[in-house]
Amino acid sequence: MHDVDEPSFGLEHNGPTDDAVDPRDVAAGIRDLLSQQRFAVLCTQGGEQPYGSLIAYAVDDGLETAVFSTARATRKYNLLKACSRVALVVDSRPSYPDDLMKVEAITATGRVRELEDKERGPWAAMLIARHPQLRAFVTSPSTAVFKVEMVRYLYVTRFQEVHQWVPGPIRNARCS
Amino acid sequence: MDSKGWIIPLRDAAGLDERLIGGKAAKLAQLIHAGLRVPDGFCITAPAYDDFLTQGTLVDLVRMELGRKPLEGMRWEEIWDSALRIRAGFAAQSISQELTQAILEAQGELGEGTLLAVRSSAPGEDSPRHSFAGLHESIVGVSDAEEVLDAVKTVWASLWSDAALLYHKELALDPAKSRMAVLVQRVIDEDRSGVAFARDPRGGAEHQMIVEAVPGPCSGLVDGAVDPDRWVLARDSGEVISWRSGDRGQGPLVPPILDDGDLAKIHTTVMRIESFFGWPPDVEWTGLASRFTVLQARPITTVTTPDEDKRAWYLTLRPSMQRLQKLRIRVADILIPELERLGQRLTEEALQDYNDRELAVAIEERATEVDKWKKIYWDDFIPFAHGVRQLGAYYNDAVHPVDPYEFVAVLRGEDTLAMERNGSLEHLAEMLRKNDALREWVGQALVEAEEPDSGAGDLTERLSDVSGGQAFRQRLSAFVDLHLDVTYRGERLAGRPDLILRTLMQMAARPGTIGPRASTQAEQEHKTRECERRLLEAVGPNRRAEAQEVIATGRLSWRLRDDDNILVGRLEAQLLRAVQIGIERLVSEGRLATSSPATRATALIVSDALRDPSHLAIALPEPEESSDEAASVDGGESPRQLIGQPAAPGVVTGRARSIRSAEDLGRFQAGEILVCDAIEPTMTHLVPLAGAVVERRGGMLIHGAIIARELDIPCVNGVARATEILHDGEILTVDGYLGIVTVGPPEFRLEGLEIS
Repeated sequence: MHDVDEPSFGLEHNGPTDDAVDPRDVAAGIRDLLSQQRFAVLCTQGGEQPYGSLIAYAVDDGLETAVFSTARATRKYNLLKACSRVALVVDSRPSYPDDLMKVEAITATGRVRELEDKERGPWAAMLIARHPQLRAFVTSPSTAVFKVEMVRYLYVTRFQEVHQWVPGPIRNARCS
Repeated sequence: MDSKGWIIPLRDAAGLDERLIGGKAAKLAQLIHAGLRVPDGFCITAPAYDDFLTQGTLVDLVRMELGRKPLEGMRWEEIWDSALRIRAGFAAQSISQELTQAILEAQGELGEGTLLAVRSSAPGEDSPRHSFAGLHESIVGVSDAEEVLDAVKTVWASLWSDAALLYHKELALDPAKSRMAVLVQRVIDEDRSGVAFARDPRGGAEHQMIVEAVPGPCSGLVDGAVDPDRWVLARDSGEVISWRSGDRGQGPLVPPILDDGDLAKIHTTVMRIESFFGWPPDVEWTGLASRFTVLQARPITTVTTPDEDKRAWYLTLRPSMQRLQKLRIRVADILIPELERLGQRLTEEALQDYNDRELAVAIEERATEVDKWKKIYWDDFIPFAHGVRQLGAYYNDAVHPVDPYEFVAVLRGEDTLAMERNGSLEHLAEMLRKNDALREWVGQALVEAEEPDSGAGDLTERLSDVSGGQAFRQRLSAFVDLHLDVTYRGERLAGRPDLILRTLMQMAARPGTIGPRASTQAEQEHKTRECERRLLEAVGPNRRAEAQEVIATGRLSWRLRDDDNILVGRLEAQLLRAVQIGIERLVSEGRLATSSPATRATALIVSDALRDPSHLAIALPEPEESSDEAASVDGGESPRQLIGQPAAPGVVTGRARSIRSAEDLGRFQAGEILVCDAIEPTMTHLVPLAGAVVERRGGMLIHGAIIARELDIPCVNGVARATEILHDGEILTVDGYLGIVTVGPPEFRLEGLEIS
């Protein structure tokens, strides 16, 4: 809070006043939120019908790749095989049940691919490290492990402030 | 005490927890218990506030106002805006039937028709730890049921006053947890009142007590309306060390209004209060001898905050009726006319004809005047600008409108220099519209002017070559002299007629743009009269004169905000004009290697050189680079939706155009979204061309907001770093209803990437 009521004079303009608050480090905010909230809503679609389900997930350090698992006999498995485009929603309502202005949320968009047996080991391990109670589930032969290539994050704070963040190498590949 | 514990008579409140009845009430209750005289009354406890909150959604309202933007990043004006909205929300919410009954019963026990004081008593208020006096509200002189209930709600709302929000950290304000108790007492009317400080509040003299007294009620002293008699006493003995008579227009030979006996009694009582509480008090009192009554006792305010902390200064901006009245006379009748005359005189001086010494004198005089008037700007013009806020609070308290900013309609109808200028601009644009040959010629000339070294200066001269150009040129020159003799970002606009010509061409391409069309003008006038009528009706005949004063001050305050900026800007432009001539002279004499832009910093260097008989060569410091290029943010991050203040309603989508330099003034195209640090009088002529306005500087009642509202153009301001993160040409959607700027087109497509 530096400047006072009326505009600075022509002669003494020093450029825009710094706002007292540092620019939000969007990447850090996203990272914090993802590390605090272990569950997400997975959004899928099929036949022009959207669908949503709650999943346990984990994400890598660069926030570029996420992982989750699902039984193959599920609706969402079939939808994912037919259409690889997904969105994930993660939010901090559990931490602030009463105050909407404090809740933070992420909508992340990306593309999924089921991991074949020979590649699934490390990813399954990452998921189990975060959700130890799901060991039996994740390692079951009837369960598929999917990895999600995260394309873009939309980070919402204070109910209506939204910043987009694109992780790592994908940044260079995208056409803006 | 009633069954819910909402009401406690003050005489029964001694020893009760401050969290229940608040600091003020707790102290007064203790003083009653100690045998001192305190006006009779009752406390409305903190749980009553809780009950009130549960009647509606006020907690969410407060959360939203506190959460929308970080308070630390908000200007005082924005905080004031939030406090106004909270206040309106509280006023609109009803008190429960049960609580209403309890309050009115307690009021009844104090006597039908008794004048009452309704004051804040917040937990922690007036504690020895943080002495922030005057953050919350007091309302004195209410008597009927409706007035009392409204006053209670206003005091509750003042838990979230602008001053309290400024200090929210120190007060640990939390929408979920903070509460306010209210103290309701009889107004005691004695013939003498005053304050006493157990120690000198200015610090330094540890052994002295200060006593001040006025005839009549204490409010006269506290508001600064009545000058008190003042005594300095020795703390230990009570002996009078010195005294002075207050200036109340009664002449030099009037005796002091307190005699030695009165002073002795006050001294004893204050020391007694000090030993009772254990800290030196600031005591407000009324009445003498056996009628001596304590109105308030709190720790002496000696807040020490670092110099960079401007909050205390911001609080001085809070409009007070007395101060605004005095300022109004000073600003409108003395300062502005003087400033106008000065500007006129400086403009008329034929500096070219001056010799070197005379020119040096002229530069120095101008520099001195600019400094002097800047000080006046800070000391007088800025505080006076808040007359608009006084009108807002006054209107809302009386009328309780649904829209807390409805009162802005009352401000309309003032001819300002800016409106005059816009009218002249429209006339010039009309001349271009009607004359095809002239318009084509100007268009072509502007294209050519973009070539380097083309020299925009002679553009106006060549206008005479075209049919109809002479008349246009004359009018344009008159316009430039009268309205463009200001600086923008260090550049004197009078030297850049090409900029205004570009804007005129934009205007000429559209039918009559500047100023609201006739039918909307009639609508606006109707709305103005209607709001005025509502206010006068709501305050009633007894307060009509007061209301009219507030309206007049508000209007004048609004009008002059534009004018004083322009007028002081003209002084600066005149300084630069003189310096420029000096520089050109030094260059032609070979004393300066190359021409440099005139700046404030170089003014005295140039004038010294002109005075110097030895004719040595000089060098001027390099002008500082303005560093507000659009910053590139972290490669992966881009804004999508930004929050600001909903300053003027409407929703518009368009392309962003940032105004950061004088050059940008000429580049602005009709329909673009005007993005700037702050709307200044030098660019208000662009606003009617804009689709919407986005400013970094925030506030519902700042200049740009009110202009945008008048022109029915959406405005969102208080958008942090707006000029840095919004890039020219970007599609923006400006939602003035919600205070949101959406960046980029509404749809987005997933990139068609294959993943490995």
